[in-house]
Amino acid sequence: MIDLISILQQPDVRPIRLFPLTDPERWVAILDSKGQEVACIEDPATLDATQRAALDAALAKRHFVPVIRRILMITRAPDGHDWLVETDRGTTTFRIETDESIQSLGSGRIVIIDKLGTRYLVPKITDLDRDSRRKLERYY
Amino acid sequence: MTRTAFTGLSTVVFHLTLPHASPNENPETLLQNAEKRLVTGERIIARLFTDLDWNLHFHAGLIVLTNLRLLHVELAQFQAWKLEEVQDLTLEEMGATAAIHLMQADSSVWHWRITVGHVREVEAFLAKLKEQRGTVTSETEAAVDEEDVFSVEEPETKTSTGQPLVRLFKFSSKWYKLMLLGFVLTVASTASGLIGPWLTMSLVDEVLIPLQTATSDVLIGRVYHFVLMLAGAAVLTWLLQWATTYVISRVAERVTSHMRRATFEHLQKLSLTYFNKKRTGDLISRIGSDTDNISLFISVNFIDFACDVMTILFTAVILFSLNPMLALAAIGPLPIVAWLVQWVRSHLRGGFAAASRAWSAMNSVLSDTIPGVRVVKAFAQEQREIDRFREQDQQIFDTNDRVNRTWSFFEPTISLLTDIGLLVIWGAGAWSVAYEHTTVGVLTGFVLYVGRFYGKLDSMSRFVASAQRAASSAHRIFDILDVKPDMPITSGMLKVGRLSGAIEFRGIKFRHGSRQIIRGIDLKIAPGEMIGLVGPSGAGKTTLVNLACRFFDVSEGAVLVDGHDLREIDVVDYRRNLGLVLQEPYLFFGTIAENIAYGKPDATRTEIIAAAKAARAHDFILKLTDAYDSMVGERGQQLSGGERQRISIARALLVNPAILILDEATSSVDTETEREIQAALDHLVKGRTTIAIAHRLGTLCKANRLVVVDNGVISEIGTHEDLMNRSGTYARLHQAMVEVNQA
Ligand SMILES: Nc1ncnc2c1ncn2[C@@H]1O[C@H](COP(=O)(O)OP(=O)(O)O)[C@@H](O)[C@H]1O
Ligand SMILES: [Mg+2]
Repeated sequence: MIDLISILQQPDVRPIRLFPLTDPERWVAILDSKGQEVACIEDPATLDATQRAALDAALAKRHFVPVIRRILMITRAPDGHDWLVETDRGTTTFRIETDESIQSLGSGRIVIIDKLGTRYLVPKITDLDRDSRRKLERYY
Repeated sequence: MTRTAFTGLSTVVFHLTLPHASPNENPETLLQNAEKRLVTGERIIARLFTDLDWNLHFHAGLIVLTNLRLLHVELAQFQAWKLEEVQDLTLEEMGATAAIHLMQADSSVWHWRITVGHVREVEAFLAKLKEQRGTVTSETEAAVDEEDVFSVEEPETKTSTGQPLVRLFKFSSKWYKLMLLGFVLTVASTASGLIGPWLTMSLVDEVLIPLQTATSDVLIGRVYHFVLMLAGAAVLTWLLQWATTYVISRVAERVTSHMRRATFEHLQKLSLTYFNKKRTGDLISRIGSDTDNISLFISVNFIDFACDVMTILFTAVILFSLNPMLALAAIGPLPIVAWLVQWVRSHLRGGFAAASRAWSAMNSVLSDTIPGVRVVKAFAQEQREIDRFREQDQQIFDTNDRVNRTWSFFEPTISLLTDIGLLVIWGAGAWSVAYEHTTVGVLTGFVLYVGRFYGKLDSMSRFVASAQRAASSAHRIFDILDVKPDMPITSGMLKVGRLSGAIEFRGIKFRHGSRQIIRGIDLKIAPGEMIGLVGPSGAGKTTLVNLACRFFDVSEGAVLVDGHDLREIDVVDYRRNLGLVLQEPYLFFGTIAENIAYGKPDATRTEIIAAAKAARAHDFILKLTDAYDSMVGERGQQLSGGERQRISIARALLVNPAILILDEATSSVDTETEREIQAALDHLVKGRTTIAIAHRLGTLCKANRLVVVDNGVISEIGTHEDLMNRSGTYARLHQAMVEVNQA
């Protein structure tokens, strides 16, 4: 068993999610400063509590994919559309440029990539409220 | 080959179409001439029509193979050779034409010329000759009494072509219940639409006229009674029309969706040869806009048409029952209308077909230019593409203009005829009211009905246009559906499961159209062996592996895997054993994980990651923002050539193929990446039969044997050292490469 805690304490070591959009809970690779993989954890749930906590802390520092809870407003902008959404990290606005910025990941899961490259996730369209779905429907 | 029931007289015919044959040179005449020349006991076994003379002028001739002789028949000429005297017939291709030489004592004593498109028939004929000579020399004539009858078909033939619209309705027969319902609703709504004028008639005669002439005892209240009934009729009509439209649109949507799916499914079954010939844009436009035309036709135009016909019939009956004389006068202009419709039809037919083709052409320009946009920009040819597009657009514009010209004349003419019909009614009606006691109410009803009658003629004429458009669209769809796959996906039934990977090319020949690409290759590859295929470009290396993948079928000889003829094996089952890495890796629109798992959609994430690691793709994938979830393909994240290549190697690796084919998998990447890919490939090659094509000969250092292909034949086989020592083609290629590297 690798010593995850000491690995994670080294400088420039970073955990990477292999499937950040379709399976963010599992599959984490640990890369060293040169980008080489030093470890790959299939299921963090199998780790013991301290290691798990260390990994989660390291991931939390890097991982940023807000999950959209509600779509409040979508308005037309000169170069795309402005979205006002409520996410698990609070309410925010972002701009998307083309229809291709909204991508389906299968089984109702979609990811929205804004103009600046931030990913917003809708884990399941059917879980959104009716009003949000209506708004989304016009663009996706 | 199928054995025919009748024995003895059946012959094999290789048909040529003779484009320029004059009437007295027709094949039948030649054949009769040949038959007259037969001696007793002589039977025709095969015949071959030739289409050129020695000076390459079009001229019909006939070569007949009988059980005894070879005959040459022309209108004014006859020549015969005993089979024993014939040493051989040889085919020599000379560009657009070919010659068949009759050999005696190693020299050509006679020859025929044909256009090169017919060499397949010639080859079949030569095969028959060989077969026949075999039987003659072994003198077992009885055995040939039974002949196999086969005809040399064009590979992808069209089947039945009926009336496209009739076929369209056969196509929709699956939904006959809904259609029947739609039909009943149509009749009902039409009938209810005719209640109005009838009530009006009574209103005028029983209420209004008496009211005006003040013959007392008419109650004003009856007016409201009538108005109420009129309103009721209107509401009923509205309800019925609503239901009709709803039902019919449902049918239309189902039919067209069925059509789109059927067309796409059918396309998937067609061979590469078909796609090589077709333009992407054209196919897209057929599946997209042509099915749309059809949907519109069924849902809107056809229902209108049915209503119209119904209305016309009903009104005609009503008119005649009211007053036959007036009715005759009213429908007087009808023959003129019928003639007009016919005239317009013939004008529109060509117009719509042309319009559909113009759309296709425009789509083709788009599907050509948009993916090629980098080349367009690199060569600064934007203006040229704009011009090309404009030219195509102009064509759409022109054909539509043409259609509209016909149209603009047609509609007003119908209106004019309507007006004339009404004028006739007013004139004849007034006379009738004055002298024949026709009531004013009946006359009013008449005018209303006749107005409807001609109004419907008008909209029926519009139907002419849409029917014509739908017919030409349906035709273009059936055009695809009628192409028989030349290599039926279920051709062979043998399920092979997992192969061990022995491949044998046994005397194979292959031609693209009339050009011979593979001219006879014999090669045995042992399971697990790695073969390096080298040779100048255009030598036929890709074609050879295409044959091994069974993208095409060999023209002669056979490809065997594990001892089975490829043609006997279930294609899908066979291809599960194949891993293919091409020079230009193609990634589909989707995530990287999906692309890697393309050949095995149910692969687990563990397998996907393992494949990516083995293909040396894992490291660069980790650098992408979304790692394995990154979108690639058409619009997604752009990957470099080497990265794409490694993904396609991972894809091939994931299916764990028994036979691996690498067609210049590393030709387009830099040396550093090549080294990476090479390492990935070394991993991939282990334990599989591998055919690797490469230009950089260093790539093939792991190969057990190198096979040099030149101009469709194998020129050398051996290890690197063997071939260098032989100082043949390989040594030359190697030398050239070394020089380039030093330069
Ligand atoms: N679909 C096709 N139709 C007609 N000719 C073709 C077709 N594909 C390839 N050819 C011709 O066959 C020859 C061999 O091609 P190929 O097998 O691709 O050569 P290479 O050895 O470079 O891979 C070439 O001369 C090419 O022009
Ligand atoms: Mg090639």
